[in-house]
Amino acid sequence: MRRVIRASENRTNIMIQVEKLLKIFPSGHKAVNELSLQVEQGEILALLGPNGAGKTTTIRVLSTLAGFDDGKVHVAGHDIDRAPDKVRESIGLVAQQTGVDFLLTGRENLSLQGQLYHMPKAEIQQRIDELADYFELTDALDQQVMTYSGGMRRKLDIATALIHKPKVIFLDEPTLGLDIKSRKSLWRYIEKLNIELGLTILLTTHYLEEADNLSHRVAIINNGSICAVDTPEALKNGIGGDALTLTFSQKDSATQRFSEALEQQGHAQRLLWEGNRLHLYVDHGASSVPKIAALAAEENVDIAELSLARPSLDDVFLQFTGTSMEDTGEEEGEEWWHQWAGKGGGGKWQKKWQNQDWQDSESGETDESSKGEWQDKQQAWSSQDASTTASNQATEQSTESTKENTHWEQDNWDKNQSSDWQKWQQKGENESPGGDTLEQKNKTHDWQKWQDKNKQD
Amino acid sequence: MVADTWYLFNKYLKISLRTPLWSLFNLIQPLIWLVIFGQLFRNMAQLPGFPADSYMDFFVPGVLIMTVLFGSSWSGVSLLREITAGSIDKMLVAPISRISIVLSRVLHSAVQVMIQALIILIVAALIGTDIQFDLIPLIGGLLVIFLLGVGFASLSNGFAIILQREEPLVVVGNLMTLPLMFFSTAMVPENFMPQWISFIASINPINYAVEGVRGTMIGPLDTGYFFQGLIVVFIFAAAALTWAVHAFNGLRD
Repeated sequence: MRRVIRASENRTNIMIQVEKLLKIFPSGHKAVNELSLQVEQGEILALLGPNGAGKTTTIRVLSTLAGFDDGKVHVAGHDIDRAPDKVRESIGLVAQQTGVDFLLTGRENLSLQGQLYHMPKAEIQQRIDELADYFELTDALDQQVMTYSGGMRRKLDIATALIHKPKVIFLDEPTLGLDIKSRKSLWRYIEKLNIELGLTILLTTHYLEEADNLSHRVAIINNGSICAVDTPEALKNGIGGDALTLTFSQKDSATQRFSEALEQQGHAQRLLWEGNRLHLYVDHGASSVPKIAALAAEENVDIAELSLARPSLDDVFLQFTGTSMEDTGEEEGEEWWHQWAGKGGGGKWQKKWQNQDWQDSESGETDESSKGEWQDKQQAWSSQDASTTASNQATEQSTESTKENTHWEQDNWDKNQSSDWQKWQQKGENESPGGDTLEQKNKTHDWQKWQDKNKQD
Repeated sequence: MVADTWYLFNKYLKISLRTPLWSLFNLIQPLIWLVIFGQLFRNMAQLPGFPADSYMDFFVPGVLIMTVLFGSSWSGVSLLREITAGSIDKMLVAPISRISIVLSRVLHSAVQVMIQALIILIVAALIGTDIQFDLIPLIGGLLVIFLLGVGFASLSNGFAIILQREEPLVVVGNLMTLPLMFFSTAMVPENFMPQWISFIASINPINYAVEGVRGTMIGPLDTGYFFQGLIVVFIFAAAALTWAVHAFNGLRD
């Protein structure tokens, strides 16, 4: 279902060119799977997808932080493999973890970053003043970052990424963990950067609203590859008509018969089951509802809830991936460990351990099965971690449809609250790494490894 | 590369200066050792064949080296913290030499332990140890301390990247410091050691560092021990640093 992007021969105005990018983690998981993407100069493109879809990995590869296994990547006209330093000079990165130093002042953070880009002193001073003015940080500039609010830290983080006047900037979940007010204010800054400076922006997000409001084009990413790229409007129009969601108390043979009847009588263009929810896409919602209600009465089916809305990006996502964005959650930060574990010393070490310690000692068949078992365990381990946060979210991921704007606001706000909380938790872990949660996590991990290893022997 | 290292070194220095208590915290353990062991083993100096007039004169170089080990072996922990916080990513995405990131951390740690060692030296002098405050031997001794700091901070950073988690890093850090201390002449002179320990001591770089510092800062000057210590510590530091840089470069596949 991949939509072909305007195939332009003229490379000068293409800022990011990715062809069949492949990145395999040491575990064998294809984090990025033949991903192709083009971003034009002055464009804001949002990579929309659930956690674990490969958004962060893609950004890390494009910003030279991670290597890749196959494919071609050009950023700002430079081959990322041959001229990484040229690429580095022309990009700015705002990662998920705020990289600013909390014990330094805002000015010191900015000036250090300027020094690392080898800018002359006077120019650094001038840029600091400009950026502080732009992001309204002038008053706080000489205070330690510790005293900043979450929104201010984000703004400072973006400012440090802009100090050397990059042509392209990568924003990895720029508004994650911000409250709705800071989020909207940040959107305005990002839009302004794009309009006034013509900055090319590639951002990742798992907030539908953000992709919808901020970007010129949206690329829907799932399981490491892109399913669709277009303007948000075109994507939504591609679905056509109205989106109708029926929620049942349970999915049983009666509801099954009902959905088959709907299909046969041509009430819906398309029909999709998601748990006990049935998504219907109809030409004209207002006239379909009575017919559908009548059919439900005829079939003796109880509709617990019915909602009607224009298709949202969530519907687009649902269409391309078969699952709703809401249901494809994974623990935040989990991806982060994969990132680092997938690289360098640790990665190699892990690889060696996997290859030698047990593959050598095992013979053919049992090897495969025990390996599978181990992977299952590891997954179980990660999902166990996720479950604590998932239970938090479960309450918000109510059956409530998020299609109406009012619901959107409320829902998002709740989510912000909870992700703030998660952020805070994570921060706690980062700052006091001896803290319970992280220690426990590591212990479980260690223990599991130990246990698995013992099993092999 | 030099400029990049300098900028980053400055950053770490600023951070240390803003958390002075944290830096002083590292001094507590060596100070306790100085007092307790100094008292506990005081009578050892009366044994026939003991090479110094008082046990303190003998023990202070050991405490100085201990300060270096305790101080610099945790450099890797803060590296992990910086990776988690995203600071390292911010450096890696800038067009700077990768070496300068490791180098700045290691140099900062070495300078920090050098200052801590100076404080211990002053405390030792105050409680009556026979310390040479002549400039050139003092600089020589500090040079040995500095290089040993570079070596151990490098090892710690390298292990941090390989192990990726703090707990095993702490275990490795402890393993690096304490046993290596006991397998050296930090606390007991060589002629008191069983032969097998004396053999391990002869291949333990810490032993040479202790002897080197003993040769310069405490008692009569002994250039032979000093140069021997300096060369060994220099080779150790160079090897450890090369390894750490190599491990760090491995971060990008």
